[in-house]
Amino acid sequence: MGPIWAMAIKDLRHLLRDKGAAFFALVFPLLVAFFFGAIFGGGGGGGTLRVILVDEDGSPASALFASDIAADAALRVTTVTDRDAAAAVVRRGDAVAAIIIPRGFSDQADQVFAGGSMQVEGVVDPARRAEAGLLTGKLNELAFRQMVRTFGDNEKMSKALDSARISITAATDLTPVQKGLFSVMFDAVGNLARGGATSQADGTNPLGSWNPVQVTLSEVTSERAVPTSAYQISFTQGIIWGLMGCVTTFGLSMAFERSRGTLLRLVVSPISMRHVLAGKALACFIACMAVQALLLAVGVLALGIRIDQPAMMLVAAVAAAFGFTGVMMLMAGMSRTEGGGAGMGRALILVLAMIGGGTVPLFVMPQYMQTASKISPFSWATIAMEGAMWRGFSMFEMAVPVGVLLGFGVVGFAAGAWCLRHRTL
Amino acid sequence: MLRLNQLRKSFGAVAAVDSVSLEIRRGEVFGLLGPNGAGKSTTIGMAVGLLAPDSGSVELEGVGPPTDPKVRAHIGVAPQALAVYDDLTGEENLRFFGRLYGLRASVLRERVAAVLEMVGLSARSADRVGTYSGGMKRRLNLAAALVHDPPLLLLDEPTAGVDPQSRNNILDLVRELASRGRSIGYTTHYMEEADRLCDRVAIIDKGRILALGTVHELIERHGGKSLITVTRENGEDQRIETADPLPDITRLLAPGSSESVRAVRIDRPDLESVFLSLTGRSLRD
Repeated sequence: MGPIWAMAIKDLRHLLRDKGAAFFALVFPLLVAFFFGAIFGGGGGGGTLRVILVDEDGSPASALFASDIAADAALRVTTVTDRDAAAAVVRRGDAVAAIIIPRGFSDQADQVFAGGSMQVEGVVDPARRAEAGLLTGKLNELAFRQMVRTFGDNEKMSKALDSARISITAATDLTPVQKGLFSVMFDAVGNLARGGATSQADGTNPLGSWNPVQVTLSEVTSERAVPTSAYQISFTQGIIWGLMGCVTTFGLSMAFERSRGTLLRLVVSPISMRHVLAGKALACFIACMAVQALLLAVGVLALGIRIDQPAMMLVAAVAAAFGFTGVMMLMAGMSRTEGGGAGMGRALILVLAMIGGGTVPLFVMPQYMQTASKISPFSWATIAMEGAMWRGFSMFEMAVPVGVLLGFGVVGFAAGAWCLRHRTL
Repeated sequence: MLRLNQLRKSFGAVAAVDSVSLEIRRGEVFGLLGPNGAGKSTTIGMAVGLLAPDSGSVELEGVGPPTDPKVRAHIGVAPQALAVYDDLTGEENLRFFGRLYGLRASVLRERVAAVLEMVGLSARSADRVGTYSGGMKRRLNLAAALVHDPPLLLLDEPTAGVDPQSRNNILDLVRELASRGRSIGYTTHYMEEADRLCDRVAIIDKGRILALGTVHELIERHGGKSLITVTRENGEDQRIETADPLPDITRLLAPGSSESVRAVRIDRPDLESVFLSLTGRSLRD
């Protein structure tokens, strides 16, 4: 292991001290990630939740509630008239949830002073439960906003009711029946306030646990998961560029060793060619892992991008590093000089990176390009990383890109090693 | 120490090395003298196991053929190309090569320091090699061959393209290493270096060894006679070929015959004469 480790350390030193190589492996990917993330809309529309609103009740009360929802700065609301259409939008992944104000909402609103609650339905993507939770809270907040002025202070509420009772009793233009009905209503409201207050032994406000809006959520599985932040896309792209930087740098290093004569010194030392290749492979693997770790760390810590499945991301990163180490070995084997073949190799890697999601995100490519991109290992790395970051891949789904990347690694390593063994100095 | 036996290597139709046999003895500096393209580097390449000969064999005495990596640990090679990393410091280069040869921790530290001192680069050891002069890189290239303290050194044109001061340093170092018992194979196309350094020399041209022996033996056998050129007062030159110039000089400068002599020049035969005599060409052709 000593000579292999020595080779790897030497090559990593070379990477860090070669300003051009270090820039393209470490700095440029970050610039790509920030740049594309910014032009794609950054952190997802300034933190607003896109919702679809359906008002089935069509009453003044529901219209008032709907207008409150539409006016909320935390929500971006699109109104449709049909609940199936709303569910379809959620299914396509174009909105976090659909809010449906069902028929009967107005009646429920009237009963809310008697301890009832307004029923609102929501349709959400199960992969986006966190946003759905935020939405439920937001709806309750909106309902409270209307009611808290009246109902927030028990003492004031009781006084107001007592005063109203006196006025009603003294009224001369009401029939006994009407007075009786008002009395029943005031008793009900008073019971709600007084009864609730006395039932709490710990003295807490009973209204604190009372939700004026009961949101009933049902789930609709999205046909297409979508990222919650543009940076989830752009940082994957940045990683692609970083991997490309590592592959080209280390892929050229054998040609570099050959042209400088240092390969000759390595070959005449008491280590085998296998040690030389293993050292280069180890250096490339470490660099690929470091690039991915750096970009993800910056993304998570500086921009708050979310990695839905961190363990899956680790698997994807290891598989990507292994796969691209194999690609590097193939490029090293095929590049005899720093010009010529190496230039061709660099151009090929660039094209593979571009069609593999390095410039245009895979999921916005036309279908034929998505199919064509399957020849690129960068595409599989993108799929694996997106699968862990926001696509919500299962283990089985993740096994496909990971397996392909490992395959690229094994084939690349074998082919590259064969080429290098059959090259003369 | 190192024995090459009937080595033959062709590249396509061109025979780069043809039936080369030689032996580098323990503690000697063995020179392989020939013009560029004579087959020196190809011979060294086969000697260190870098190139597989078409036929013939290489044997490091008592150890085995250099195709075995363990055998190569006994050999230090300074290639003609500057085989060092510009992005690393001089010390980092030597530490890296030392680790390839299995040197560990304290031994590695001591050897690196000693070798840097030996080649006069201690003061620049922490600087990146890219900032070194050509002569300094040459010395580092040689140091990398010495770091594991091998008993056999193969130096392929180790003074190519260096300034006179660095060349002298390198030649002095090679002599010092030989005096410490190291066996050294030294290829060059500078006959002055072979003359100054080598205990024995093989003259090589077009892949074949034309002559082999000590410098004195080669000159005796192939160098021809010394040439005395006498310039008279009247401007005429008189040339005298002689195997032993001393009696002729004595006679020419004796009282009575020296009055008409303005100048006397003696051209002794050297390795250049040997090469000219063997090939009909100059070493620098």
